[in-house]
Amino acid sequence: MRQLKVTITKILTIMILLLPFAAGASTDFDFSALEKSIFEHSLENGLKIIVLPRHDAPVVSLVTWVDVGAADDPKEYSGMAHMFEHMAFKGTVTIGSRDPENEAGLMRDEDRVFERLRSERLKGRLADPKKIAALTEEMEKAVSKAYAAVEPNAFSNILQSEGGSGLNAFTSRDQTAYIISMPSNKLELWMAMESERFLKPLLREMYREREVVAEERRMTTENRPMGKLVEEFISTAFKAHPYGVPLIGHMSDIQNYSREAAQRFFNKYYMPSNMTIALVGDVKPETVVAMAEKYWGRIQKRPAPPRIATVEPVQQGERRVLIKDKAQPAMIIGWQIPAETHDDMPALAAFVDILGQGRTSRLYRRMIRDEKVAVSISTGAGWPGSKYPSLAVAFCYPAPGKTNAECEKMIYEEIEKLQKELLGAEDIEKVKARAMASFIRGLNDNMGLAQQLATYQQIWGSWRQLFRELERINKVTPEDVQRVARQYFTAENRTVACLETIIEQAAADKAAAKEETKQ
Amino acid sequence: MIARLYQKFSTIIAAVTLLAFITSSAGAVDLNALVYPQLNQIAIPEVEEIKLENGMRLYLLEDKTLPLIQASVRIHGGSYLDPADKIGLAEFCGDLLRTGGTEKYSSDELDELLESIGGSAETSMDIIAGSLKLSMLSSYNELAMEVMAEILQRPVFEQAKFEQLMISARASVSRRNDRPDGIGDREFEKVIYGSSSVYARHTEYATLNAISRDDLKAFHQRVFRPENVQMAIWGDIDSKKIVELVKKHFGAWEKGKEALPDFPKVDYQFDTRTAYVDLPEVSQSNIYIGHLGGRLTDEDHPHRIVMNNILGVGFGSRLFKQVRSKAGLAYSVYGVFTANISYPGTFYNYVSTKSESTAKAIRMIIDEIRRIQNEEPTAEELKLGRDRYLNTFVFNFDSKGKIIERLVYYDFFGLPKDFLNKQMEMVKTTTAADVTAAAKKYLKPDSLRILVVGSQKSLDEPLSALKNGEPQAIDVTIPE
Repeated sequence: MRQLKVTITKILTIMILLLPFAAGASTDFDFSALEKSIFEHSLENGLKIIVLPRHDAPVVSLVTWVDVGAADDPKEYSGMAHMFEHMAFKGTVTIGSRDPENEAGLMRDEDRVFERLRSERLKGRLADPKKIAALTEEMEKAVSKAYAAVEPNAFSNILQSEGGSGLNAFTSRDQTAYIISMPSNKLELWMAMESERFLKPLLREMYREREVVAEERRMTTENRPMGKLVEEFISTAFKAHPYGVPLIGHMSDIQNYSREAAQRFFNKYYMPSNMTIALVGDVKPETVVAMAEKYWGRIQKRPAPPRIATVEPVQQGERRVLIKDKAQPAMIIGWQIPAETHDDMPALAAFVDILGQGRTSRLYRRMIRDEKVAVSISTGAGWPGSKYPSLAVAFCYPAPGKTNAECEKMIYEEIEKLQKELLGAEDIEKVKARAMASFIRGLNDNMGLAQQLATYQQIWGSWRQLFRELERINKVTPEDVQRVARQYFTAENRTVACLETIIEQAAADKAAAKEETKQ
Repeated sequence: MIARLYQKFSTIIAAVTLLAFITSSAGAVDLNALVYPQLNQIAIPEVEEIKLENGMRLYLLEDKTLPLIQASVRIHGGSYLDPADKIGLAEFCGDLLRTGGTEKYSSDELDELLESIGGSAETSMDIIAGSLKLSMLSSYNELAMEVMAEILQRPVFEQAKFEQLMISARASVSRRNDRPDGIGDREFEKVIYGSSSVYARHTEYATLNAISRDDLKAFHQRVFRPENVQMAIWGDIDSKKIVELVKKHFGAWEKGKEALPDFPKVDYQFDTRTAYVDLPEVSQSNIYIGHLGGRLTDEDHPHRIVMNNILGVGFGSRLFKQVRSKAGLAYSVYGVFTANISYPGTFYNYVSTKSESTAKAIRMIIDEIRRIQNEEPTAEELKLGRDRYLNTFVFNFDSKGKIIERLVYYDFFGLPKDFLNKQMEMVKTTTAADVTAAAKKYLKPDSLRILVVGSQKSLDEPLSALKNGEPQAIDVTIPE
């Protein structure tokens, strides 16, 4: 989740000292007018609708926000939230079929063969290789046959040919989002199609799509050093809470997904009361509501899904993981922190800002500007999720010839300073000024704003919280920052993941030879 | 109840699919059928254009929606001017303009100043142009103008910042082989344009070591001249006041003594080549297939836009359908014929697939390149190819920044203001035969250059089996 903090402008002491220009620097921009122009409505089935009308251009950004993420993946089906996101583009009984009458039967054939293949495979060493080969071939045939009944990508094609722009979806640990911007006169098309795919999605092409997801995993995780490091880091940092499970799924899980499992996942989590639609752009709230009643209203009310009961236990000591790779060194450090809704979060956000965000941050100045041990350092709070207790993190790339260990030491030293010394008021004011400017900039972008509204609706139960963040961050004091620095940024509360470079023998020989000539 | 409604709805969707643009055809659509209202008029604002006496061009657009002042400056000149032994010079200059301090503000002061007000100003320089982007609360408009003047006219390239940047540039060189797709992106440019071409070459430790602060100052003196600068400012501004401020801060800026050289021509022979980078430890190949592309001003470029949409851009394209949906060979696959104004683009097809399906995916893509030449698109494909462009046309105008930055770009290259509209009109009338003709004219499936970054021992077939020239290994060892 993107962090977004708001503050009312004040003329800051620091700016007056620094700038002759600061006079009149406050903005009289009226956030409350914007807040008042936002309209909300709930359908009887529980679907939440948020509309921000803006008529600057005849376009509208449309977001369907589902309160389900990778953290909700069932056991043995890691990556299922993400897999379902892919499947949601496969259409419905009518959208995407060349042969609606026979398609269901062809899909059942695929399922039957796959079930046999799967149970044979799961015998492990006792499996019969000949049987597996035969079933694999049979599976291939069934999949090809079923594919012949498919009108590929029909769902996306309709939306895109009608002017859909930026059609996409993403899955995080906390949520699944489906996004698109449309010319505003095509609102009804989106209403019809978007509701249709969640009314009764048809999970065609399930078994091919698994292969696509396997390629996605190879691309983003297995063949990218940082991808590997992130996966190892997260699974080390969480030993109980499902945030630790890979978002894209383990390869063996991906290869064993069944259609039935995906359908079960849909039934369990995709009910209207677990979804929010947010619309920002050239639309009228009354039209939106009327269309939503007509199209989304068709979806039956279903009981809310179960929520995760597991709580990550208090960490008992530092955890470390090391991976070796040909790539250059990199390091991720994380500290356990609470969920976004916790009262400590604004102070934690301020702390990580001062510590490692931007060119005036403590870590940038010490590690990049002055001592030149790193080429990149950044910090954040609320990753890999923010709905449940999560992590504050630091990402670091050491400079050539410098080590992870040198960088790590300096990071701790800078944290220690912030634990010992109280910040000046101007440090906090800077955080607030930056947050406000970035809030205003965020308003420029319909799609960004639609996602923010939906996020706050999900995490806080009210989009209005977006506008309350202002008060939240304005209450932060230097004492708060010092307290959270002391409380959370301790050795026993952290996880460290390092990527260390494998020195190849030839290169090592060469370096040794060089060393000798010097002597 | 639900079922009945659902049934009814299905009819609607079928109608939408078939009749998306023929809603007038009577009878087929019942009362639930979708009839789209007229799209509200796109209000395209008038941009005020002013040329200062020293040649600097100014573009202004008032927009009071949010209390922000935004600026985007384009500077003619770029790494195409770098001497061959000092590659990286322009990029260094682009970075240090903002980060290396100015006569009035040290680098620390400028960082502090901007971050304390949540303002941002960032500079960079690419192959053909430099850029300065600024965003501040509009109450700081005077400061905004002063900061831009300092950055563009009076950078000092502080020694300490120069050293810091040198470390970071060396780190980039040392890390450039860490990602297989990073290797592929870089090497394919060289496969197409040639490894010493200004459009493909890159820094090495040696070229970085050769750069001095004096070089930077000289480069800045030569390139950062008012006649090379186009400054666009928009947002909550008072145009009159901005013009005054611009005159105050930029009016005395002296013209340069020489015009910059033209963008070098690309020397290209169509031929077949297969190159590879062997990475024994990876499980997936990054594959690039293509040849030299074209220019935006080629008269039939609009036909190629439709061709791109049918061949390889987006979910509905043939490459996506064949390689991803049907064969399940890839997550990422696309193909596009790109066109620049300053120098020819690339015909560029990309796929990443597990090592064991590398040759299979390559053949599939080549088959599709041939097919688009030989098989006219179906009515449905043509409609999708055109409509995706036409119906998203409005998104060219949905932000003030897009409108004004496009104008700056067109103005630099002397394109007419209605260039985009003319392009749109031509896309509208593109026929299936036009697409085939463009594919025949511009695509050369018998003269492809292929690059495979992957584990050679794990491929489904050796690359020589493609019969696309003797496979040549590319050594990506980083020279000391």
